[in-house]
Amino acid sequence: MMPGLVQILLFQGLGELITHFFLPLIPGPVVGLILLAGFLALRKSVNAPLDEVATVFSRHFGLLFVPAAVGVVMFWPHLKAHAAAIATALLVSVILTVAVTALVLKGLSRGPGK
Amino acid sequence: MNAQTSAFPNIHEIWVYLSGSPLLALVLTLGAYQLGVIVYERANRHPLANPVLIAIVLVAATITLIDMPYPKYFEGAQFVHFLLGTATVSLAVPIYKGLDAMRGRIVPLLAALLAGGITSIASAVGIARLLGADSAIVGGFIAKSVTAPIAMGIAERIGVSPTLTAVFAVSTGILGAVLARYVLDFVRSREWWQRGFAIGVAAHGLGTSRAFSVNPEAGAYSSLAMGLHGVLGAVLIPLGVRVLGL
Repeated sequence: MMPGLVQILLFQGLGELITHFFLPLIPGPVVGLILLAGFLALRKSVNAPLDEVATVFSRHFGLLFVPAAVGVVMFWPHLKAHAAAIATALLVSVILTVAVTALVLKGLSRGPGK
Repeated sequence: MNAQTSAFPNIHEIWVYLSGSPLLALVLTLGAYQLGVIVYERANRHPLANPVLIAIVLVAATITLIDMPYPKYFEGAQFVHFLLGTATVSLAVPIYKGLDAMRGRIVPLLAALLAGGITSIASAVGIARLLGADSAIVGGFIAKSVTAPIAMGIAERIGVSPTLTAVFAVSTGILGAVLARYVLDFVRSREWWQRGFAIGVAAHGLGTSRAFSVNPEAGAYSSLAMGLHGVLGAVLIPLGVRVLGL
């Protein structure tokens, strides 16, 4: 597991450096992700330690955004005042997004072979 | 009388000691999440019993109750927070594994992703504005269909609240996991890969775990959609916000 973690941290660091100096608009970890995906595509395989770390992370992703999300306590009065707008926007938006994505897929893959 | 104080060390002293170290915030965060996972398992993994939501509510309630200011909590919990970036990089693995599934379907998949991503932002921002939400809240909607760790990174870059973005992203994931099948039935989407991809675009990680529980092909495409949406969103959303001057 350790070699996998080191590998990921290296790519994260590389990503942070690149965004800091060249691409300030893109989050560093995303650049790290793209680089790592490119590296895997070149090697054409995922080594076991890396796979192991990725699995652990994907299983407990949710835990990692708890600290930031708890900041919602500071927005509480604000959110309460706009509760109806927020609920409507979330609900309608997710329904439309699923529908539009599915319809575009259906429309574009109706060609030959499918 | 002196013996009494040494036998029962002042509670206040213990409190001051503990709240000064990251331990309290860490135990609180991990403990609340663990409780959330237990509830989720007991509820047969129903999307409404989402462990992250439970953890957020528990931690928020606890720090309010013990009068711990949020910045102080965050100072301790930042070790967990730091790993977000690391976990984001690790998304390269499922994306790489999913690339095979794209073969021969790149055009419809990318077109659907773009259409879905734009719909997500335009509809949420439009509705929130129309109903009178202020700019802080509207900003939180911009990246909400992107997987939360990347969404928070985007939020930082475009100068909106990462906290609101994370909360809206989790809410979106829960709503998507619950509602997607009805919407997909309504628009008569029948292929598993199309259904999975649509769920992943709209409802990222939570939608993906839902999709996996229904059908492995849907899960694989949902996971691919989540990854692609994260990467494209991280590149295109900051650019779009800058160009449109939102």
